[in-house]
Amino acid sequence: MAKIAIRINGKLFQEDIPERMLLVDFIRESANLTGTHIGCTYEGVCGACTVHLDNEAVKSCMLLAAQADGHDITTVEGLAQGGELTALQEAFKSEHGLQCGFCTAGILMNMTDFLKQHPNPSEQEIREGLIGNLCRCTGYVHIVNAVLKVVQENQLKKA
Amino acid sequence: MSQEHGKDWMGAPLPRKEDRRLLTGKGKYVSDIVIPGALHAVFVRSEYAHAKILSIDTMEAEELEGVERIYVGEQIKHTIKSMPQPIVQPNLPAHYPTFWPLAVDKVTFHGEPVALVIARNKYIAEDAAELVFIDYEELEPVLDPEEALKPDATIIHEKDGTNEIFSMTFTGGDTEESQAENATEVEQIFQNAPVVIKERFKTHRTGITPMEPRAILCDWDDSDGLLAYITTQRPHIDRLALSDILDISAEKVQVIAPRDQGGGFGIKAPFYRENIIIAYAARDLEQPVRWVESRYESLMNVGQERDQINDMEIAADLEGNLLALRNFGLADNGVGTVGVYWGFVMPFLGAIELPNGYKWPKADIRLKVATTNKACLTPSRAFGHFPTRFAIERCIDMVAHKIGMEPSELRRKNLVADLPYTSITNEYYDSGDFVKVWDTLLEKADLTNFRLEQKKALSENKYVGIGFGCGVELSGVASELFVPMENQPGFGAATVRLDPRGKVQVFGGDAPGGQGHETTTAQVVASEFGISPEDVIITTGNTGSTPFGSGSVGARMGSYFISAVAEACRQLKTKITKILAHDLQLEASVEHFEFKNGEVIYLGDDSQRSSFLSIVERIIMFPINMPEGETGGLDVTSFFEAAKPMICFNADCCVVEVSLDTGDFKILKWITAEDVGNVINPLIVNGQMHGAIIQGISNTVFEEFVYDEQGQQLTADFEHYKMATAADVPNININYATTPCPHTPLGTRGIGEGRPSSVPGALTNAVCDALRPLGIEITTLPLRPDAIWQKIQEASH
Repeated sequence: MAKIAIRINGKLFQEDIPERMLLVDFIRESANLTGTHIGCTYEGVCGACTVHLDNEAVKSCMLLAAQADGHDITTVEGLAQGGELTALQEAFKSEHGLQCGFCTAGILMNMTDFLKQHPNPSEQEIREGLIGNLCRCTGYVHIVNAVLKVVQENQLKKA
Repeated sequence: MSQEHGKDWMGAPLPRKEDRRLLTGKGKYVSDIVIPGALHAVFVRSEYAHAKILSIDTMEAEELEGVERIYVGEQIKHTIKSMPQPIVQPNLPAHYPTFWPLAVDKVTFHGEPVALVIARNKYIAEDAAELVFIDYEELEPVLDPEEALKPDATIIHEKDGTNEIFSMTFTGGDTEESQAENATEVEQIFQNAPVVIKERFKTHRTGITPMEPRAILCDWDDSDGLLAYITTQRPHIDRLALSDILDISAEKVQVIAPRDQGGGFGIKAPFYRENIIIAYAARDLEQPVRWVESRYESLMNVGQERDQINDMEIAADLEGNLLALRNFGLADNGVGTVGVYWGFVMPFLGAIELPNGYKWPKADIRLKVATTNKACLTPSRAFGHFPTRFAIERCIDMVAHKIGMEPSELRRKNLVADLPYTSITNEYYDSGDFVKVWDTLLEKADLTNFRLEQKKALSENKYVGIGFGCGVELSGVASELFVPMENQPGFGAATVRLDPRGKVQVFGGDAPGGQGHETTTAQVVASEFGISPEDVIITTGNTGSTPFGSGSVGARMGSYFISAVAEACRQLKTKITKILAHDLQLEASVEHFEFKNGEVIYLGDDSQRSSFLSIVERIIMFPINMPEGETGGLDVTSFFEAAKPMICFNADCCVVEVSLDTGDFKILKWITAEDVGNVINPLIVNGQMHGAIIQGISNTVFEEFVYDEQGQQLTADFEHYKMATAADVPNININYATTPCPHTPLGTRGIGEGRPSSVPGALTNAVCDALRPLGIEITTLPLRPDAIWQKIQEASH
């Protein structure tokens, strides 16, 4: 067993856990934050489990919970502040960027980080930024539109 | 918003009611549901494609701390009824295999459940599963469907004495004599036809794997019975099946498909053996039991379809008139041990849907389906007809090239122009305008200009091509087809309940998986009652509260379910206006009133009106001074069934550029035209089309389940089973050319299910069009650069 302390969405979780416990299981089962999903066999391909570790997008099925000891995690539940959706969440709503919603948390977490690093991406760059997330329902068209919408809004704000 | 309470909700691109919870991580999928004390189940699965089970040693596993129980087939065959059971058996003559949830005596495919470990948590269950030792004696695996049907083949299900699970002739009537006579007539046409194309088309094993794998959580209580949360498109069918198989009286079985499901696409429509034993274990152990399928298990067991060979011939004249079609299909069924579909129901429908939107004066269409030692086929969007449509769309292009006609022109010439129409395989096309759809597509495609550009590109050594395809798709499944095909009714059912606060609850027994039913339903109800969609809430998938429905399958939403909702609303409106007329002392009925902006208004004198809220409250809460014979309450369940089956129609055009050096190709453009009937929410309909087309592209190009010569499945993770990413696929340009369906109350059509079917033909046609100077014809999928490169090498030497 390992004693760990992980801050998730600002709240500290201190637990004794088996060393082999995956971060995604800790988030879902110990912290009861089930917005983070598991879509592949812990191989890091589907991206549904993407969270932020110290503000950087990581796949939580590829890490042990113990590796996150002492770190800050943000999950999809931590994006909206005070009940207000982020611009990206709003854009996913207005552009119909999700259908079943199973991959959505991972895509939001990845694209939130992506837009910080690439404030003015082209459509092709957005598509390439999404290769770590599989979506089965949307064909990606509306997802790309939603991200582009945020980019355009940000450019307008700047101008 | 001016449309706040108006009728304009129909056709409005309303953002979805579902989205807020899904965007904030508050969705509740089966694997998110917690019942305290739930045990975790892990299956031990076969490592062989075909082998005798000599012994199973569970001793070491059972000794592991935290293991509660281990089940094997030998025990449960005495306590659980075998499959098939009538509720999950089609009314089609076939050799249905006998099986139990866990393999008994022998295993028949790589990945088959052999033992079930139940433990306190999933880590312990996984450890214990590794300590279950199974001794096998390998048997010869049967892996090739053609070999499987040879007289000396190893028989997989011995009781049948054959590996042919199903066969059928779809043309020439019901008797062997009439079918033989038809075959002779077709043969005569082929002998005299100026143009004949004959090819063998092969499609690989692939399907629409959803992002959420299967899961089930069961609880048992001696007085209340079984409560099962299941990832399922058919909760009501699952309920009856669990009741029948486990001998639990039906009133004591409740199945809940949560409103949040991570996609279905057909994969969650069968009745699966895993669910039987998890429910059984919950009852046996008197504790909640949960099974969450891993992606590895999912790719080993489900989502495999499309595995067919179609030997197709088309006869035509020199003017491009299609004269006859002959197709002998052979489907690789896999092992057949999946309830409701048994594998062969997909190729069965695929043969029926083969003729597509074209007129065929004569046809001879037959199908054989062979059992093999592979996972059983399970349904995938474009159910059964992805392979047959690939074949027919490719074959039509070959006819066009042979007579020197534009393939798009030949298609247009042979499209069914007068509907209703009964196809050569007896499929009923109720309504629509195929030519209008086609012309819309052609206008957007701008073919004349494209041919000029193509010529110019070729002069610069660039190989670009254009491809077309179309699809007649089911809009819901009428009982007329559903009863024989799946032994289930086709009607749509909805309960609409008004409450004293003027709000509306809708209950539906189908179980969506991301198609936006909450929003679409709310738009229809709001439009009928002149209220806001915010005031409408829908409950789906709970057999304890919803009317019976056969499930979210076959595009039943826009056809059957939403029609039942509309009819229930209209019955309530009739009652509301009858009582309002009585209260206002008017000689008037429903057609004299308008429901608008939260009011019910008498059209003869608009000062005579009531707020929707007060009349609803009055009828439910104050049912005094009522018209004679009328009672209080506003709650209606309506059942909708169209007299005949219904369809929708779509067409695809794509443009590709192929590299002669590598065989790689890029999709430059994807244009569509759609007849989806009246659109309720264009955002949602667009999303359905995008998803279906990209699924079609992904299936055509990237995804493939591969078995080696021992029947080992080599593609059970997303590294090896490659699904398209955003960077792999194009944008899609959707265009509408709609004809309202005259057989639904709202003019809507069910859409989306069959939509991928025209994709493989259109895309492969475009690649072949680009390579026309080399005379390359592709007849086998997947459509991969290495295979194209090989063809280029053969053609250049």
